[in-house]
Amino acid sequence: MKACDLCGKGEATMKVSQLDKEGKVTEITICPECARQRGFTEVEKLKANVAEIITELKNRIDEGDSKLICPNCGLSYAEFKRQARLGCAECYTSFHDQLVPLIRRIHDAVQHVGRTASGGRKQAQMKMNVQKLREALSGAIQDEDYEKAAALRDQLRKTEGE
Amino acid sequence: MSPGGSVGKWLAASGPEADVVLSTRVRLARNLADVPFTHRAEPRDHERTVDVVRWALTDTGYLENGKFLQNEQLADPQCQYLIERHLASPDFIASKAKRGFYVGNDEATSLMINEEDHLRFQVMASGLDFPEAFTAAAALDEKLESQLQYAFSPEFGFLTACPTNLGTGMRASVLVHLPALVITREIEKVLRGAIHIGLAVRGLYGEGTETKGNFFQISNQKTVGQTEWEIIETIADISRQVILYERKAREYLMKKLRVEVEDKVFRSLGLLRGARVLSSDEAINLIAGLRLGVTLGIVNEISLEQVTRLMILVRPANLQALLGENLTAAERDERRATFVRETLVHP
Repeated sequence: MKACDLCGKGEATMKVSQLDKEGKVTEITICPECARQRGFTEVEKLKANVAEIITELKNRIDEGDSKLICPNCGLSYAEFKRQARLGCAECYTSFHDQLVPLIRRIHDAVQHVGRTASGGRKQAQMKMNVQKLREALSGAIQDEDYEKAAALRDQLRKTEGE
Repeated sequence: MSPGGSVGKWLAASGPEADVVLSTRVRLARNLADVPFTHRAEPRDHERTVDVVRWALTDTGYLENGKFLQNEQLADPQCQYLIERHLASPDFIASKAKRGFYVGNDEATSLMINEEDHLRFQVMASGLDFPEAFTAAAALDEKLESQLQYAFSPEFGFLTACPTNLGTGMRASVLVHLPALVITREIEKVLRGAIHIGLAVRGLYGEGTETKGNFFQISNQKTVGQTEWEIIETIADISRQVILYERKAREYLMKKLRVEVEDKVFRSLGLLRGARVLSSDEAINLIAGLRLGVTLGIVNEISLEQVTRLMILVRPANLQALLGENLTAAERDERRATFVRETLVHP
């Protein structure tokens, strides 16, 4: 039995080449315990480790993708990757950095140069608001919450009058 | 919309380059800013979107010049004819969500509410005519935008449920008939060329459909980084080249293989005039053969418009709408043969 070059106690089972400060290569034989403590790994085991590391990294990315959630609609980036559909307009802001490379791959460009929208109109917003208020009002009446209904009715009149 | 014998004006076969190009289509995808995209929206969002877009259509005066259909009407199995006429998508007709559908009286303009995007509208024109199709689509877009708040970002353009439609949100396409390029086996080269410059080439009824009757649809894939006119110019350019190739191939065939071409054309016509049972696919293929004969002047008593019209009306749902009856497949094949025979005997 050859004793470990490092601890002198354990059975040396592993050859390690090391570079000293002058750049000279020396070879030592060490025991499994010393190898473990100093982080030496055999090449075969190293290969297995690389696969493990990649899987681990991938899991972490996937985990990151499911943690990345659009605060507006609740869609996670992982879900988007599965369905290839975004949840709402806000998703483009929420996943901006992830989407840019993807958009570049699809279109060879990321900057829109075509027609622009005038940014929406007040009238449209008002119609949506009126609709929402109407729904809330009928809900309040159904719940017999007349105080709330009266407030909603006033608000509705005001919005419709604008 | 008339499910009977008439078809949209875009099939009048009167447009430019009609011997090769059947139709031009411009489709725009738009979404409302403050509503989740269709697949993630609640039923009440779907309803609200239908209401809001319907209001907008009323305000812009479009509703007066067309028809508006909603769920019950769209659930009708007969609505398959909208797909056959290229006015609505299969997914849209099959969807259970609250949907709205508008079609102009001339069937050139149609609009789907709550398809993959909140709004998808299109304009079709006869022949190769992007100015006509795009101008009309842009006009509807502007009018709708005066009433609706679109989801838009200065960086990404019009925001769509799938990033493949981002930017202009525009899909521009031409439907071309390329029988001579298929016969001379030059088609591969042409299609590869189109794909090489970033265009998509598909069969008659869009994605995943085979190329029945040698009809091909050429469209843009990319929607970001180019203006609408740049996209259109690219497709128009390649279309013009394809038209040129196809005409040259037709000339070549007429010079070198006249008898074979005439044989193909007259066999098509003979079968169409004589068959007692005709499946939809067989009919399309034979009509395509007849179409080649009409464009080459081999058959003179039938017009291109009649051929184009026939092509749409023999499709299963259109045939049933025309006859006003629900038929089994076997009944359809028999009635189709009768219809085609009668049309071609007394054109």
